[in-house]
Amino acid sequence: MPNLQIIPLDYYIIFCSALFAIGVVGVLVKRNALVIFMSIELMLNSANLLLAAFSAYRNDPAGQIFVFFIMVVAAAEVAIGLALLVMIYRSTHTIDINVLNKLKW
Amino acid sequence: MIFSKYLFFILSFIAIYAALKVLISKKPMHSVLYLTLTFFAIGGHYILLNAQFLAVVHIIVYAGAIMVLFIYTVMLLNLNIQGEFPKSRLAKFASAIAGGILLFTLIAVFRSYDLKVLADPSLNQIGLVKNLGKILFQDYYLPFELSSILFLAAMVGAVMLGKKDIY
Amino acid sequence: MKAIIALSILAVLNMFFGVRKMKKVLLPLIFIGLIITMILNISDWGKSVHYFNEMFIADNFSIAFSSVLILIGILIFMFANIYYKGVERPLEDIYALILFAIIGGIVMASFGNLILFFVGLETLSISFYVLAGSKKFDIASNEAAMKYFLTGSFATGFLLFGIALVYGVSGSFNLEAINTYILGCNGNVPMIFIAGMLLIFIGMSFKIAAVPFHFWSPDVYTGSPTLITAFMTTAGKVASIAAFYRLITIAFISLHSELTTTLTVIAVLTIIVGNLSAVYQDNLKRMFAYSGVAQSGYLLMALIVLGPKSAGILLFFVLSYVIATITAFAVLMLIREERGTFFIPAFRGLAKNNPVEAFAMAIAMMSLAGIPPLAGFMAKYNLFVLTAEGGYTWLVVVAVIGSMISIYFYFKPILASYFSEGEPQHKIESSVNFKINILVLSILMILLGFLPQVIINLL
Repeated sequence: MPNLQIIPLDYYIIFCSALFAIGVVGVLVKRNALVIFMSIELMLNSANLLLAAFSAYRNDPAGQIFVFFIMVVAAAEVAIGLALLVMIYRSTHTIDINVLNKLKW
Repeated sequence: MIFSKYLFFILSFIAIYAALKVLISKKPMHSVLYLTLTFFAIGGHYILLNAQFLAVVHIIVYAGAIMVLFIYTVMLLNLNIQGEFPKSRLAKFASAIAGGILLFTLIAVFRSYDLKVLADPSLNQIGLVKNLGKILFQDYYLPFELSSILFLAAMVGAVMLGKKDIY
Repeated sequence: MKAIIALSILAVLNMFFGVRKMKKVLLPLIFIGLIITMILNISDWGKSVHYFNEMFIADNFSIAFSSVLILIGILIFMFANIYYKGVERPLEDIYALILFAIIGGIVMASFGNLILFFVGLETLSISFYVLAGSKKFDIASNEAAMKYFLTGSFATGFLLFGIALVYGVSGSFNLEAINTYILGCNGNVPMIFIAGMLLIFIGMSFKIAAVPFHFWSPDVYTGSPTLITAFMTTAGKVASIAAFYRLITIAFISLHSELTTTLTVIAVLTIIVGNLSAVYQDNLKRMFAYSGVAQSGYLLMALIVLGPKSAGILLFFVLSYVIATITAFAVLMLIREERGTFFIPAFRGLAKNNPVEAFAMAIAMMSLAGIPPLAGFMAKYNLFVLTAEGGYTWLVVVAVIGSMISIYFYFKPILASYFSEGEPQHKIESSVNFKINILVLSILMILLGFLPQVIINLL
């Protein structure tokens, strides 16, 4: 019986929840826009891994297809986000990141 | 099989450690590098799940494209300046919320009855390029085509933001 | 489906002509294209076609909301040449992004599968992020774009984690299949599913700016270019509420009785906080942002009481909100152009020198506040009757109190333009075309107030 030896699915859920929570803490705690953005990437990645794990344990490919689409969107989002960062840099004409540090909720 | 369990713990430990370091590091450049480490660890997880296509795409997209963009921005804008740490009250409040979410999810996991494990991930074949490709182009053809519009929008947007006109 | 294809072709054509510097062709092309799209969209009425393995469901609900989105496009482009008056460039990229956002909105109104929902949502959001920052050398616009981007992606993260948990338990992304799974549980739904659903709700609340998650909306809507603000408040809200309605009525309908408490709390908070914060704003654009928050609260009320009529009432409410908001923003754009400010004193003596603009603004504001003969009143009236019939009397009381508060701030510009003392400001020159446009919209608001059943009975 292989089922006794495989990694329990719960492990994946706990690991992904932890990663997701780290991402959330990062978004709320950090004040540098770049690091906030990285924390959002962590959140997306935890969702990705969770979907892939569910998909693999259920033998259903739909979850992995969704992960593929999330990667597509993440790539587009990164392009836009960094273009925005460059734009802010250009309009303030400074390498000082104080402008970004003002971004608090 | 025991081996894969150890591998899971090692990879998870690396991922969590690097993710924490992303937040703790004071320089954005260090954060980016630790984020790359997290991405590689997650790529290892995909291989462990026998999701080979995802593993390859993950490494190409995240560790390849996204990380290069991040590093490029940090270096281009010379953003590698020490960031300050937040006010303690805000941090405590935020951590409380986030911790609450984590706790809630974990409790939910343990209170729910067992999740169905229908297949052994190390034996099934769904993660291979051949199988995923077939499904992507049969059942999920419409989202695939629509994502081209999404990319077009992102491309137009990035070019527009890059130009030097006022509007 | 046809609408999406037509809009994509239109957007690409528009960019092509823009690159060739044929500026005069763009707006007429877009108008013709949008009208053709509207006709193609309505031609599917009543057929209820399911495309691509239940991915895309073109039922009457989705066609109606897609039509509202296309109408928003037409109205926004109607006023685009006023806002971008002195710009030499063809502006094809901004127009194309508006069209892409409408495509995303249409997808959000018609999805049958969570994967398609996610792709549509992101198409809408990415276009919005860029549009919010399209005034590139204005720091307020930059900051608005960055804030919108970060909070929007944050919300997406919650949404995705929620979808992952829901998928893990139910094993499918198809809305009908999720409902089948819930029915199969016999009222014993696992906690992990509930957690996933709540995370999805948090994500959606971010998108419609419901109260605990509304903090981004005032800054973003104030900082963005005014035309884009008008587009984002209307199109974003319509698309997100349509998606929310679809999620609740198809996927989570069997759990609806347990969900009402959460939704009611969010709706009450949204109405109260939105209206109370709007009272303190002197900047009209910021006031519109907060009143938009309050309007989301009213929209959520239609999701709490699901009756046979609730879809129709939602459609009518959305339609009246869209027309009134865009009219008000059109006048606001004109005044900002001349007087350089969004504050109330800019309206002083508007009625004396610009009677048409003052009239249109007054009608729009009264419609938003819900003064009897107008469209906004009939929308609120029908919504409140629906809610009261569903047994939520106290929710209606809260909503009525909220509406009464809203009269105070919606009447500020009307009072300033009609009854203010002191010397009036100079006359604002506006084209005949603009006057006709806003007059037609005002008459539409009055007409809709007399014929609400026509729209409500559509769905």
